[in-house]
Amino acid sequence: MASLVKQFARLNITQRSLLQNSCKLLLPASHSLHTTDTLSSKWNKANHGPRKWLVSNKTVHPPQKPDEEPRKAYVCHMRTNIKYSPDKMWYIASFVRGMSVDEAVKQLSFVLKKGATHVKEVILEAQEMAVKQHNVEYKSNLWIAESFVGKGRVFRGLRRHARGRQGIVEYKHCHYFVRLEEGEPPKDYYLPTQQTPEQQLEKWIEQMRSRKVINSL
Amino acid sequence: MELAASARCGIKMLQLVQPPAMQALLQMQSQQLRHRQTKHWNPKFKKLRAQKFVKLDLPNFHEKPGDLTQEEIRSRLKERGVLPPRPWLERPFHISCTGGIFEAYVPPEGDGKKSFISSVGAKQKLEFLEKKSKSVMAVRKIRSYEEEFSTDDFASEAQDIYIAAHNQMAAKNKHQLREFVTERCYPEMMHNVRDKTIHWRFLQSLEPPRLVHARVTDIVSKENLYAQVTVRFHTQQMLAIYDRFGRLMHGSEILAKDVLEYVVFEKHISNEYGKWRLHDKIIPDWLPAKEPAPITYRVIEEPEEAMELLAEGDKKLEAGAEKQNPEHLDNIESGAAVEAVNENKAAKSTTASPSI
Repeated sequence: MASLVKQFARLNITQRSLLQNSCKLLLPASHSLHTTDTLSSKWNKANHGPRKWLVSNKTVHPPQKPDEEPRKAYVCHMRTNIKYSPDKMWYIASFVRGMSVDEAVKQLSFVLKKGATHVKEVILEAQEMAVKQHNVEYKSNLWIAESFVGKGRVFRGLRRHARGRQGIVEYKHCHYFVRLEEGEPPKDYYLPTQQTPEQQLEKWIEQMRSRKVINSL
Repeated sequence: MELAASARCGIKMLQLVQPPAMQALLQMQSQQLRHRQTKHWNPKFKKLRAQKFVKLDLPNFHEKPGDLTQEEIRSRLKERGVLPPRPWLERPFHISCTGGIFEAYVPPEGDGKKSFISSVGAKQKLEFLEKKSKSVMAVRKIRSYEEEFSTDDFASEAQDIYIAAHNQMAAKNKHQLREFVTERCYPEMMHNVRDKTIHWRFLQSLEPPRLVHARVTDIVSKENLYAQVTVRFHTQQMLAIYDRFGRLMHGSEILAKDVLEYVVFEKHISNEYGKWRLHDKIIPDWLPAKEPAPITYRVIEEPEEAMELLAEGDKKLEAGAEKQNPEHLDNIESGAAVEAVNENKAAKSTTASPSI
């Protein structure tokens, strides 16, 4: 028995260098193993974000005749996977919609929400893009034509409850999309503004005068 | 006897030792006495067990590779078992064309109108004579590789190449463009044309194109020869550039402009399959500054030191020219395709210049 052990020990000493070499040879094989970050890997289908939104920045419109009204320039921009709930971001996105860029930036700096800073940054980035790359002459002459939110990656975690039960916690991310268009914002983007009493009276009189009394003279 | 001694010692200790130290001593004793066997000895697990949420490592999606320090990258790679990427040590280079113009032709100021008698005019004439002999030698060298090369026929051939190259650029055929343009010229032609629409037309040639300058040099080895030939074009062209939305940015569809240009063509003559291709355009120092783009743009104020440095550099570069062009800087900032395509128009004048 003792001799066997001795034999093994000797083998160990002699073969050590060999073993080390073989280890070195084997190392590159670890590339094929699933060792890298699952988020950055190509086989992770959920990893790519929205891909269509920025494609519209590449469309080239046909040249216009000199007598035609010049087309309004537009820029699409987005920020993906913001660590913020899409439900909460919705309020900010729809708040900003239909405003001019300057107005939106001014308003957003007083919105005390985490998402507001992201939205503001994205709008400012889009504005810069418009001026630098898309031949927009005046940077204030832009309004937010589209502003919406998408759902990003959701990570699920565990929460402990009493009696050995557990709940699922969702750590949500959201995408924010914006499209700036050249020109003045429309007057009533959401609802028409309330009419003044005079306007209401005028409308009523108009209605009264234009009615038709059936079976009358 | 011993017992009594130890008891006495203990009492002494109780009297001498200060209260906090004694507490520690007592605690030590209590730690030693563990009655519960189900509790882990390490208190950190108690805290973890009590937590309501199981901690999760959320990835930072907005992390840029530049934000991480070398040490952080190393530790992260180690954690994930990835080998660091191999540094990119190769330097790509082309041998099918040269990287510039050698002994560039200097177009005479005012297109050679300067009087013979004036000192400037006389100097120009002398220089021309000197360079002309070199050009003749170069043409002879080209002929030794390309037997049917003649200065007269080449000019019209060059015009065909010139027109084809510009048509391909306007059509954004990047693969076909490479047949008419060298690798050095290609990025200059294709820069900023991606989201524009270019309408370019060659209307007519006002004067027949003429070969004015020729040079041959070897690079790396003596047999590796490149020929460069400068051709003078005086033509009429139309150029209109539209932006992504089809709005006119520069030029006009109905305006014909006279264009005087000195265009360099290059051929790798030692290559059996070498072709004459458009290589560069000569823009002389005395050329007046380009008019700025007709849009409103914001001048980005640079810190004073940088501006001073720039101004000095300009002075050094334009030692020969009297005027500096302050608009030059602004033009760069306005940065549109106008810049890239503006080079089509070099200068306008009609008198003849000396040729070979």
